[in-house]
Amino acid sequence: MSGDKSKKHNPSKSQDLRSKDNKSKPQKDAKKGKDKDGDEEMTVVMPPSKSTGADPNSDVTANGTSDEKEQEIIDPKVKASNDIKANVGLLERAVSQFDPRFTLRVLRSIPSIRKQLSADLLVRAITEIYTTPTPTSFALLKALSDEDTFPKAEADAWYKKKDGAQSTPQKSQTPPKDILPEVDVYFSILLQVYFYDTKNIESGAQFSEALIGHLRTLNRRTLDSLAARAYFYYSLFFEETAPLPPSPNAAVVSIRKELLDALRTATLRKDQDTQASVTTLLLRNYLSTSHITQADLLISHTQVPDSAANNQVARYLYYLGRIRAIQLSYSEAHDHLIGATRKAPTSYKASGFYQASTKLLIVVELLMGDIPDRAVFRQPSLEKSLAPYLQLVQAVSSGDVNGFQNLTAKYNATFRADNTYTLILRLRQNVIKTGIRMMSLSYARISLRDMCLRLGLDSEESAEYIVAKAIRDGVIEASLDHEHGFMKSKDVGDVYSSQEPFDAYSSRIRACLALHDESVKAMRFPMNQHRLELKNAQEARERERELAKEIVDGEMDEDDGPGGDFEGL
Amino acid sequence: MPSAVGSSSLEQVQHTLAQCLQRKDAAGAQVQLQKAKLILLQQNALVPNPDTPASQLKTARSMLEVGALLSIRTKDPESFVRYYSQLQPFYEYPGLQSAPSTKRSQITGLYLLLLLSQGDYAGFHTLLESLIVSEGISGNKSLEDDPYIKYPVDLERSLMEGSYDQVWRKTSGRDVPGEEFALFSEILVHTIRSEIASCAARSYPSLSIASAKNLLFLDSEGAVREFAQEQGWSLEEGRIYFPGLPDEKKGDEGDQKEVISHMVQYARDLESIV
Repeated sequence: MSGDKSKKHNPSKSQDLRSKDNKSKPQKDAKKGKDKDGDEEMTVVMPPSKSTGADPNSDVTANGTSDEKEQEIIDPKVKASNDIKANVGLLERAVSQFDPRFTLRVLRSIPSIRKQLSADLLVRAITEIYTTPTPTSFALLKALSDEDTFPKAEADAWYKKKDGAQSTPQKSQTPPKDILPEVDVYFSILLQVYFYDTKNIESGAQFSEALIGHLRTLNRRTLDSLAARAYFYYSLFFEETAPLPPSPNAAVVSIRKELLDALRTATLRKDQDTQASVTTLLLRNYLSTSHITQADLLISHTQVPDSAANNQVARYLYYLGRIRAIQLSYSEAHDHLIGATRKAPTSYKASGFYQASTKLLIVVELLMGDIPDRAVFRQPSLEKSLAPYLQLVQAVSSGDVNGFQNLTAKYNATFRADNTYTLILRLRQNVIKTGIRMMSLSYARISLRDMCLRLGLDSEESAEYIVAKAIRDGVIEASLDHEHGFMKSKDVGDVYSSQEPFDAYSSRIRACLALHDESVKAMRFPMNQHRLELKNAQEARERERELAKEIVDGEMDEDDGPGGDFEGL
Repeated sequence: MPSAVGSSSLEQVQHTLAQCLQRKDAAGAQVQLQKAKLILLQQNALVPNPDTPASQLKTARSMLEVGALLSIRTKDPESFVRYYSQLQPFYEYPGLQSAPSTKRSQITGLYLLLLLSQGDYAGFHTLLESLIVSEGISGNKSLEDDPYIKYPVDLERSLMEGSYDQVWRKTSGRDVPGEEFALFSEILVHTIRSEIASCAARSYPSLSIASAKNLLFLDSEGAVREFAQEQGWSLEEGRIYFPGLPDEKKGDEGDQKEVISHMVQYARDLESIV
């Protein structure tokens, strides 16, 4: 792709000019006219966020209803191509109004278009949108030209048209609309999706590489969320390129430099979408080849922007949780993983992430000595995949050492595939501790020999040391008698007289306060709203002053003036 | 021309180095090793890059391995860590994958043991995780079959579990996979001894000196007395009495302070909400 050329073709500065262009386009005249109204309204009367919030909604309903009507008659392919065209319009508005929410809406529509994507559809859309050829459109078509379903005739016709257009002077037509780089990148992402869905990994990887090179040359804030998505697919292609990740010379290793470059550029440009997305991609990259130290270093040297998208934050927290779990800081890992599971989308399509983070969370909870809630395992999207973990929890909670050993042997492959195997191996000591606690609760006095047999330990001596350690770590309240070889449990005190209830209460209060803080942070405050209020207040004050003046003029009473003022405020 | 001279002298150095090692002359070996590293550096072989022939890289790798083992023998952990980090690029270098080093697992095992003896469990598990992942793909022999790796892994498991007698038996018995590994035994025994001491102080009301000797893996009753004095335990009539836990009262005070600080915090948060 020739990035700089296309940039020249698109004088990307003057926004007024573009909106005029949009208006001059006949096919969208009606809609644009309405938009204009909305814009004027926004600037004059209403607070901006409200109007922009309402405006796209009305737009959606208009589009939606028309689409629904069409849907009954027209097949989904046509709908998809209509959607693509509508999205181009949205992107233009995103640029002209500098509102990233339009871009996000475009990105959200990708899953619905995804199913219908084909080379045929893409070529049609490209030839329709690019009325005049740009280097990007050539590159897009060229990338598609190897596909089986590539409509050669259409493309040829387009090439011819373009030849014709070049030969005939353009004065008779309206001046050609410039294609925004956003639209270029949008089509590139559609292409990436198409390549990925058709498992055409190799051309996808090549195309993505070129796209990333092109993106580097562009510095537009309206591109940020699109660029983030482009990087996502870029990394995805290389993950599936042989040699596959766990080997030290995997293909993913080769893109680390690119991603790190992208991270640096994004951070310098305050491009928060790309920054967050590339950080998670890098973490995933490092963890796939189990370069945990590097991943840890990356975390300590970077930070994910606060305004990052929810999904990126969820991913980031998941990877962070995994790294911390491996490093044995379980409580930290637990916090991160709780965040990840709560932020995870619960829709059916994203259940993979939810499952993975829940699995890890369960293991970390077990390692911390907690028993996960039974309700976790009953959720429909988790029930099946968590079955081995449920058995694991049962073994740990009953302190069944032998059962635990059998489980790890039985589900070895499953746990390895989930990347939880090493963590689960560490659980053995927890199982033993639980076993000891059970025995300490049930017996006032028990011989070490019996304990050794029940726990399946190697020797009585081991049992003695293990019990001693459990006592020191505060797992049980007991004492040992070495000469006679038994453990004597101490009476269990009343839980409610201990520190326990206070701690539980305090942790709940903390959670509630954190929730409150987060929801305050999550609220969206309309820009310039306070000015409107100020204005109203000012007007009210002036009215009051006039009133006060009249009163003063009329009655010449000194006390009434300030009194009236006070009431007004 | 210079490279030819270099390689011939490198062979010479290698030869003398081997002789030194056979005579167990650590100082002499160090000198030879310095020379070898200098020559390798001149040939640009100390960091793997595609321009250097694989045979030279292989020599460099084995030199570094010898250096790593030597620094363990001279009880110089810092130098060992340096060698270990230098070796990593060689192990990951694609050009050398066809001829994997035989000493790799030995070096890795020693490094694991070093982390263990330093109490760096996070580092230990981080390394172990990557080993298990790479084992999963290469599919050759599993970690559990590799004596050099199995040894530190087992030790760690016993340590975490609290079966200190296992640690004692493993570090002193035939299970130790090599003489370099045995050098760590002393440190580990010292570690478990202090662990056992702190456990015993909490779990036994009193202990006879004879049983304390067994529990702590000490050689004589005199050693027990010495150890008890170090720990501040009182000896009476052939029994050890552990001082009670003095921190209970302090704990109460701490609790009150904690409660107050919590309450103040709640009040502050409430105020910010209202």
